[in-house]
Amino acid sequence: MDRNALFAEVKQLLVTGLRLDRPAGEIPDDSPIFGDGLGLDSIDALELVVLVEDRFRVSIPDEEVGKRAFASVRSLVDFIETERG
Amino acid sequence: MRQVAVTGLGAITALGGDVAAFAAALADGRCGVGPLTRFAYTGRCALAAEVPEPAPRGSACDALPRATERRLSRPDRFALVAVEQAVGQAGLDVPALRTAALFVGATVGGMAESEEAYRRRQTGEDRRWRMSRLVGTPLSTTAAAIAQAFAVHGPRATFSTACSSSALAVAEAATAVRSGRADVALAVGTDALCRVTYAGFDALQALDPRGCRPFDRDRGGLSLGEGAAALVLEDAAGARARGARILARVLGHASSSDAHHVTAPDPEGRGALAALRGALASAALSPDAVDYVNAHGTGTRQNDEMEVRVMRTVFGARLPHLPVSSTKAQLGHCLGAAGAIEAVATVLALDGAFLPPTATLRVPDPAWSDLDLVPVAGRRQTSEVAVTSSYGFGGHNVTLVLGRGG
Repeated sequence: MDRNALFAEVKQLLVTGLRLDRPAGEIPDDSPIFGDGLGLDSIDALELVVLVEDRFRVSIPDEEVGKRAFASVRSLVDFIETERG
Repeated sequence: MRQVAVTGLGAITALGGDVAAFAAALADGRCGVGPLTRFAYTGRCALAAEVPEPAPRGSACDALPRATERRLSRPDRFALVAVEQAVGQAGLDVPALRTAALFVGATVGGMAESEEAYRRRQTGEDRRWRMSRLVGTPLSTTAAAIAQAFAVHGPRATFSTACSSSALAVAEAATAVRSGRADVALAVGTDALCRVTYAGFDALQALDPRGCRPFDRDRGGLSLGEGAAALVLEDAAGARARGARILARVLGHASSSDAHHVTAPDPEGRGALAALRGALASAALSPDAVDYVNAHGTGTRQNDEMEVRVMRTVFGARLPHLPVSSTKAQLGHCLGAAGAIEAVATVLALDGAFLPPTATLRVPDPAWSDLDLVPVAGRRQTSEVAVTSSYGFGGHNVTLVLGRGG
């Protein structure tokens, strides 16, 4: 998959999957996923693991991998690309 | 002993998004029952008294984390709107809210959202269970959201006693104030339509496909409604000292248990009788003091018969001269929210010197042709004392006695 298309798909998944009240196109590539960036909390973190695993057929087995993958939108795209090879 | 004043009201119902709209519609006899649109349903009945979507967003939501607000259930949202109105009218400041007690009555919580999560899982739209769609399920989330949004730190409880849940919340709020456990108490009722209750009542043949007509000869059941109401109760002396207007007083209340059947009321009305008599006794009033009865009046054959029987026993020969009405004709039966909504209606009647009608009553049951059931349209009348009763499935009975403010 084209990297730009992957960025767009990840952002769209965040907005529709977590029902965020903002357009996907407005989320910067380097936006942090947690903390103040998108207004997500720990329940959203659990949701996001499920959404990302199901959509991209990758595995987020533990907190350490999750922290790395969910640091920002860009790191999530990097993680998916690496995992899918 | 402290007196308990009502100083703030809030309501969001099929009759409108605030108390002013609610009061106007009550007086006009406008009926909030219409086509069921909340979800697809094919059964005997297709009517409900719905709060139109999008429901207003209370600015109290600004105090909640964005992630929390996103996941609020509809009943949580309704309750925040109603509490904001009530707190605003009462003019409560931050310190008063900080120590306030909070009592909520509800029956379904985030059931509609849970049903949607289940549907999505079953159809494969969600491949796994989605926690965010289930976190609003517990009944207790409403009280948590209110406490967080308004920074309420006092005693807190959530009651679920079927259709008397929020009447009990009002009663417990009054007790908290009267006993000195709290200077201010918020009483809240909230419930939203969902498939489980709708299909359940329909399967019991408890819904009237033509819309509910309490006390009517041709009544065939209730109409379900939804919404929320909130009342600010406080020590009357404290209210006077801070210059708050006293809309009404909570004079007494009592609850009782039928111990009879899972849905049907005791046909003799023994539980309802105990609640009504107990409430009057706790107010140290004789039945002769009552000027208006806001009936439970669901429109089922069993309830209305039982209820009139109880009123005949208590009020005797005076009953034909005592106005009795059911506001459920306009609001539908809002289940866990009904008690608080009808307490607000009764306070409005006392404060506004009018009698809400039994709006859909056309031909009274012939056995009750001597009763003043305030058919079709409300009318002007000053009342000093009013009672409002709620009788929940399983025999949870609560009666409140309210008095005019001033």
